[in-house]
Amino acid sequence: MRVVRLSLRNFRSYESADVELGAGLTVVTGRNGAGKTNLLDALYFGCTGRSARTTNDRELVRFGQKVTRVEVETEADDGPHRLSVGFEAGQPKRLTADGVRVERLLDVPGRPLVSVFLPDRLELVKGTPSLRRAHVDQVVAALWPARTTTRRGYAQALAQRNALLTRVRDGAVSPTSLAAWDRELARHGIALMADRAAAIDAVAERFGAIAADLGLDGDPRVAYRPRSKATDADGLVAELEERRTSDLERGFSGHGPHRDDLALTRDGRELRAYGSQGQQRLALLALLLAEREAIAATRDAVPVMLLDDVMSELDRERRGRLVELLRGVGQSVVTTTDLEHVPGGDGADVRRLRVEDGEVRADDLREQP
Amino acid sequence: MSTFAPPVQRLITELGKLPGIGGRTAQRLAFHLLRASEEDALALADAIREVKSRIGLCEVCFNLADGPRCRICSDERRDAAVVCVVEEPSDIIPIERTHEFHGRYHVLGGALSPIDGVDPEDLRIAELYRRVTGEPEEGRDPIREVVLATNPTTTGEATALHIAEQLREKAPQVTVTRLASGLPVGADLEYADELTLGRALAGRRALS
Ligand SMILES: Nc1ncnc2c1ncn2[C@@H]1O[C@H](COP(=O)(O)OP(=O)(O)OP(=O)(O)O)[C@@H](O)[C@H]1O
Ligand SMILES: [Mg+2]
Ligand SMILES: [Zn+2]
Repeated sequence: MRVVRLSLRNFRSYESADVELGAGLTVVTGRNGAGKTNLLDALYFGCTGRSARTTNDRELVRFGQKVTRVEVETEADDGPHRLSVGFEAGQPKRLTADGVRVERLLDVPGRPLVSVFLPDRLELVKGTPSLRRAHVDQVVAALWPARTTTRRGYAQALAQRNALLTRVRDGAVSPTSLAAWDRELARHGIALMADRAAAIDAVAERFGAIAADLGLDGDPRVAYRPRSKATDADGLVAELEERRTSDLERGFSGHGPHRDDLALTRDGRELRAYGSQGQQRLALLALLLAEREAIAATRDAVPVMLLDDVMSELDRERRGRLVELLRGVGQSVVTTTDLEHVPGGDGADVRRLRVEDGEVRADDLREQP
Repeated sequence: MSTFAPPVQRLITELGKLPGIGGRTAQRLAFHLLRASEEDALALADAIREVKSRIGLCEVCFNLADGPRCRICSDERRDAAVVCVVEEPSDIIPIERTHEFHGRYHVLGGALSPIDGVDPEDLRIAELYRRVTGEPEEGRDPIREVVLATNPTTTGEATALHIAEQLREKAPQVTVTRLASGLPVGADLEYADELTLGRALAGRRALS
């Protein structure tokens, strides 16, 4: 499966654009503000139905316009497919797969998976555990689509248990049914922890190797840090019972996989606290690339890598290593102000696009100013 | 700011309250009824009125009944020692269709859902305990097994766990079983096909 073409109308700074992607690496060049990030986001939007930059879809509609529309054409073993996303302020989004209306693109079998690196995604390394938990759950979903039900089940049981805790605290009901909700929460919780552990397990070794490839020294590692020590539902039930008094005081569950974290470390120390900007960036790249490998090994789908502005902060040697990794397998799109920043970017296997005056053109390198 | 005459609007509003009927469908149904012959349209009204005046809940199991007791509770051939607990009367239909179950039922009237303010007291759980622990009726066996057939959703599972736990205390002599999974996760019993449901019934497991 690969993404062949991207078409957009009135998306961000673009009135319209029709872009053919390369089979491997595509490099998008342009000045600051030219629209490089917008183009990446359009591709993300077309593949997932969501923006990678904003949750407010109104921002995506070109100034002065009402409707934006993005179409993605893919080529799979069974032939070409087409996804489209249309958005108009105040209306529900219109998503289609091969011309048929769908509820969510994420559920469309065989849609292209995308993995995106934006500068503000460094928050994944630096920010709160909730971002990392959400990320791990996305990896679980990408590795084993059917397991998304586990996380949903846990979230439902947690919301129910929290509602019950508040009602018991406020004296509205007796706590007799709390034990049942502990058990139901624990059942989903143990399954969720198993999914997360398995996902990190599939990624961890690859992460170490890729991080080393990218030149991140100091034995970089990724590890799952579950909050609970329980190995089965009974164990988790026991832990919940121990904390019942404090849970009842606060009116919510303070323990369980909704407090898990993912640790990225160098020499045993958290990159979140001690890593340099460059190290954090390399760790995030290594994580995304390791996940891509793991997904490719589990399903016959290699996520498309969308890397925004990743070169600017890397030294020359590390840029070279990254490009090598990207040219190795699958599709990726890299933006840069300067083609110079992409070693090997002038290669014959690389597709070059140039964004200028609100348009995207194939860059054949001959008419460089 | 309705554009219809008030009686028409009222019909649309009432139809729109039905599950699964949105505004558009309600409008379509209303206009269908307006076009229908008086006889056909009133037949529907009569059917609704009759069902509301004649059908109540069975005094034993809370299934729908057109007398004090439902058809199943009045059927002497049904095994009174096995009781299958379901959320709604409509959940009985697919189980009956499998022809695998020969016991009786107990309808809870919903499932535990703290978010919606549904607590044990809001369901017919106390009535179930009374049925299980009370003296059996003249000439009938005492209840030996309770099959928990609440939906395999989060709320249905928690309801089953709650009842199982309470029964262990209140009626330790009774075997409590749960439908074997095999039902699609998150599915409602109503939508489960007969084959899966039959298998789930045959392979029900004891809850420890
Ligand atoms: N809804 C919109 N309608 C029109 N233009 C928009 C809209 N949203 C953003 N823009 C414009 O898009 C431009 C930014 O584009 P983008 O972020 O893609 O630039 P870039 O090429 O990635 O630049 P940089 O190299 O600085 O990251 C800004 O000039 C901004 O005004
Ligand atoms: Mg940018
Ligand atoms: Zn009855």
